[in-house]
Amino acid sequence: MPQAKEGSSAAMNRTVVERKSDHELVVMRTFDAPAHIVFEAWSKPDLFTRWWVPKSVGMSLVSCNMDVRTGGTYRLVFSHPAFDQPMAFFGTYREVIPNERIVWMNEESDEGAETTVTFEELAGKTRVTFHERYPTKAALEEALAGSAEGLPEQFAQLDALLAGNS
Amino acid sequence: MTLTGMKKHVSILEQAGLVTTEKIGRVRTCRLGQRRLEEEAAWIEQHRQLWTARFDALDEIVEDLNRKEKANATSQRR
Repeated sequence: MPQAKEGSSAAMNRTVVERKSDHELVVMRTFDAPAHIVFEAWSKPDLFTRWWVPKSVGMSLVSCNMDVRTGGTYRLVFSHPAFDQPMAFFGTYREVIPNERIVWMNEESDEGAETTVTFEELAGKTRVTFHERYPTKAALEEALAGSAEGLPEQFAQLDALLAGNS
Repeated sequence: MTLTGMKKHVSILEQAGLVTTEKIGRVRTCRLGQRRLEEEAAWIEQHRQLWTARFDALDEIVEDLNRKEKANATSQRR
């Protein structure tokens, strides 16, 4: 995949998604702000709820509890018109280094992913790397199928939104 | 491309599940594997769309926070 030059506006707004291996997903993007600001938007529940679930996805966050420190826990409850009842995601923060790194373990099942997010500041900009590691290839594929299954129409909306933007 | 080079390429495609091969005598026949390239591309595309929407929203919040912090720093200096 060709890489846009660092610092150009194309590189700034580009979200790079790579399937690193059978069971790993990596997402990268550079934000035009220092690391402590991006970390704040990621670790404060009232800010996190404003971006984690894109409006176009049609789901809403019913509640969001996040105690972002090493050993702390999180619990996110989502609702969707197509769900009979709300769906909860929960887990533990394995390692938190403010403004640098957050590692959490998803604990709804034995097949949960371990996720590492790093914040690297360079010249006032911050590169965020989201790295999700599933125990098996099947777990990763199931996670996607699960989220995609209930959402075909939402993905269509998302398509329309993105087509309008590009 | 050399034969050795070709063998390497095919073996990587095989490891990735994109092709399956069968050797009968001196002939190795390749077929498209179970994991199709389109499926792989669709998978990545779904993730790309979700994360682009997500990070576009984060970008707006970050920009907002950054602007507020700069404004505060300026007003405190006065």
